[in-house]
Amino acid sequence: MTYLFIILYAVTLIYFALSERVKKFIWLLAIQGSILFGIVFFSLNKIEVFDFVFILIETILVKSIIVPWFLNKVRRHNHLKREHEPSIPVFYSIIVVVISLLLSFILSSQLNDNQIHTKYFTVAFASILFGVYFIIIHKNIFSHVVGYLIIENGIFLLSLAVGSVMPMMVNLAILLDVLMGVLVLGIFINQVGDTFKSVEIDQLSNLKD
Amino acid sequence: MISFLLILVSSIFFVGIIIKVKAKIAARKMPSVFQPLFDVIRLFKKGAIYSSTTSVIFKITPLVYMASVLMATLFIPIGSQKGFLSFEGDFVFFAYLLAMGKFMMIIAAMDTGSGFEAMGANREALYSMLVEPAFFILIGSMALFTHNTSFQDLYMNLHAGTELTYIISIAAIYILIYIAMIENSRMPVDDPKTHLELTMVHEVMVLDNSGFDLGLIHIATWLKFAIYGGLISNFVIQTTWIWYYQITAFLGIQILFAIIIGLVEAFRARNKMEKNPQWIIMLSAIAVVIFLTTLIITQKIILN
Amino acid sequence: MFILFVIISITISLSIFFVRNNILTKILSAVFLLMLTGISGYAFIHINEISSHYYKFDDLGVLLAFVLSILSLATFYHSYLYLKRHNFTNKQEAGYYASIIMLITAMMSAYFAENIAVLWISIETTTLFVSILIFFERTKEALEAAWKYLFVSSVGVALAFIGILFLSITASSNGITDLSLLHLIEIASSMSSIWLKMAFLLVLTGYSAKMGLFPLHTVAIDAHTVAPPPISAFISTTLMNVGFLGIYRVFTIVAQTEVLHWAQNVLLIAGVLSVFMSAIQLLKIKHYKRMFAFSSLEHMGIVALGLGIGGIGYYAAILHLVFHSFVKAGLFYQIGQVHRYFKSYWIKDAYGYFKINPVGGLALILGFISILAIPPSGMFVSEFLTFKAMFLTKHYYIAIFILILLTLIIYSFSKNILHLLFNEADEEIEINEIKPNPYESISQFVLFGLVIYLGINPPVFFTDLIDAAIAILN
Repeated sequence: MTYLFIILYAVTLIYFALSERVKKFIWLLAIQGSILFGIVFFSLNKIEVFDFVFILIETILVKSIIVPWFLNKVRRHNHLKREHEPSIPVFYSIIVVVISLLLSFILSSQLNDNQIHTKYFTVAFASILFGVYFIIIHKNIFSHVVGYLIIENGIFLLSLAVGSVMPMMVNLAILLDVLMGVLVLGIFINQVGDTFKSVEIDQLSNLKD
Repeated sequence: MISFLLILVSSIFFVGIIIKVKAKIAARKMPSVFQPLFDVIRLFKKGAIYSSTTSVIFKITPLVYMASVLMATLFIPIGSQKGFLSFEGDFVFFAYLLAMGKFMMIIAAMDTGSGFEAMGANREALYSMLVEPAFFILIGSMALFTHNTSFQDLYMNLHAGTELTYIISIAAIYILIYIAMIENSRMPVDDPKTHLELTMVHEVMVLDNSGFDLGLIHIATWLKFAIYGGLISNFVIQTTWIWYYQITAFLGIQILFAIIIGLVEAFRARNKMEKNPQWIIMLSAIAVVIFLTTLIITQKIILN
Repeated sequence: MFILFVIISITISLSIFFVRNNILTKILSAVFLLMLTGISGYAFIHINEISSHYYKFDDLGVLLAFVLSILSLATFYHSYLYLKRHNFTNKQEAGYYASIIMLITAMMSAYFAENIAVLWISIETTTLFVSILIFFERTKEALEAAWKYLFVSSVGVALAFIGILFLSITASSNGITDLSLLHLIEIASSMSSIWLKMAFLLVLTGYSAKMGLFPLHTVAIDAHTVAPPPISAFISTTLMNVGFLGIYRVFTIVAQTEVLHWAQNVLLIAGVLSVFMSAIQLLKIKHYKRMFAFSSLEHMGIVALGLGIGGIGYYAAILHLVFHSFVKAGLFYQIGQVHRYFKSYWIKDAYGYFKINPVGGLALILGFISILAIPPSGMFVSEFLTFKAMFLTKHYYIAIFILILLTLIIYSFSKNILHLLFNEADEEIEINEIKPNPYESISQFVLFGLVIYLGINPPVFFTDLIDAAIAILN
């Protein structure tokens, strides 16, 4: 069952590359959050109450409800509808995402470390690679935050790959990171939108030598 | 043999159903299911007119096209009903039979010397080229999964698996539906109802064909739909079913497929022309995901 | 004990933020400063003791905490001057003090963190508060710089977290499940080298945004340009020390294994490129604060080189870090003073400062000599030791290349500072008529004097701290 969700996660990455509407990004983030919940739910063998509550809060509540809801608010505040043409055509982005998926699957099959659950490593690595790529190709600071969240989702999966040995504190740290990151970044997006009347990165180029 | 006949039969009413669904949704008077058949019969009664600039290529093309599609039909099994022909690696042969027909269509379109037709041929060539990896990765994954390389054995051995096989089946059906749409130049990629040559893909290529030739091209289009419907139905039909269940299921799926196409065409707008390539390559990307899933199932990639 | 400090600091910060009473703010700030000095002293007395489970008063932490305490005193003083001279509302002032107290607390937490995860959380927290402070003046440039700093640092810190996860992968295969530094160092020799390499690379890249080292240094430089001068002083000194510490902690783990040589080469590359970038950019610099920012990039490059070379290089690196903190902070305070007269940080708008304010000019000259490592500056000692280490370990080409770059840096730096001090151009520039106040330069003189003193005649406890801090590497 875990594989099902992992495959679905890979498919969401492809749709990230394909879509050009800001609203769709937010939807995809929400879907990724639910997929993460599914992965954790079906992969934890002996689930404790505390763990369960934590995972519920982290994935369902934060990743698939609060964060998308907040991003949607930011989107409406700044009247964002359609992402302008990314600097690299979508056609190549899809090829990049496929290559990164293939790469990370091959890499995970090469890893024969007993301490790491390579099935999570596959999409985790692809997600991080793609998140960085996503930030690079988009010229809009809202999309940069979306890219950052894709990276964070990848990191969440990576921490699953490391296994149950991770201290709770680290999980809490990720949760804080996402929540604070999104809230603060979102507030700053609104500031930028109000000050510059646009959230294109071209606006932010006064500081240079 | 039965599968060949079934596909021929289903192809007759396939396009009719699409037209019926679209008319129903647009609240028009529905034509008969056999309306496309009547049209073709009418076309067959007419003679063909050839432009003086065309050569022999243009004249033989409809025949070659029709022949290639008919030939491809022979390879499709339905459930436990074997295809007419079958050998190792026949899916490659199948793909290139269709490609050969398409190739003839393209060069015939160029042969007319019309700027519009060349443009349409250009687009058609691009889309076929882009859709090819999707088809091969998909069927290749199936071959890897079942360790068989002919359509018949491949489908025979498909239905023995876990929940992951269901993902593969669903994704494969999704991809095949859209491959069928692209190969037949239907909605998301091309609009058969468009009246502007600049936005056409397939329709503009057959502008110069008339009478008998045009009828042949129409029949080939029906057949192609039916072929892909057959490929899709094989993902659902279990070989363990009784033969009349299989046949009913096949016909049901064909009708359902036609209705889906009708619905898609009625509700969806055509993609922007420059969005088409990225949309088509997306199918290949999903096919790659299927391939990776197959690798996991067959334990070519061992994950823990 | 340490957790108590954190809790009280948060309480102070919150009460300042919500009460917004000027007098209370000053009293609470004074209390906080006392407490900060107190905790540093406490740490020095209880050196190498575990505190509050996740913290440890280790030597390097204590040293850097002292630097932070001294600079906090000066920064609060200059913040007071800065806020007094601009018309900010009570709410803004309260926000300023609350954020700076949280920033200092987060930095202290980073210095003493014994657990890599805690260190990471602390660094993440510093990003947040620094961004608020960078955005303090609410200008377009400030917004741009704050956004870039926040975003790139967040991504950098996320990368560093991936590095930490990799570290924990290889640690857990050796049975260590917490990320305690002590345990990690114990089992370091049995860690798998490929994971260690990846972890080190990611941590170096991620924290380089904080340290202002080569790959992600640009955001720190933009932040300097627009932040209020006291905050710039913090960003380029104590906050860079935090970034350094993040890298250094992982480096101590790597140093126990055969990956050490590889990691040192990576540091050498980062260091050389930092100095190179800085030299190139300084040649065409147009802005005084940006000039100091690029100078920080250069000095961080030298610190990375010191770590990369090893031997005496380790000692030199830590020494350089401490001296650089004092000198650069002093320069930023002084440039804040300069800004009062010219209302601009652009090189074309500000010159002839020595005539206007001789005492301030003198401080600037002293700082200028110190930052360029000209004797009697203490930085001469640390740079000399770095080069000595380079020659002893036969890194001739790197040494020569860096020396050439340093010459370029000295040239462009002197050109601009001398322009600021002594140039008397024909065209009139607008100068605010303010009576110079020599007492405002006292803190700078103290800091520069401290660097000279520590360089010439370092007290025993100072050298002992550094020696103890690098003992684990040798």
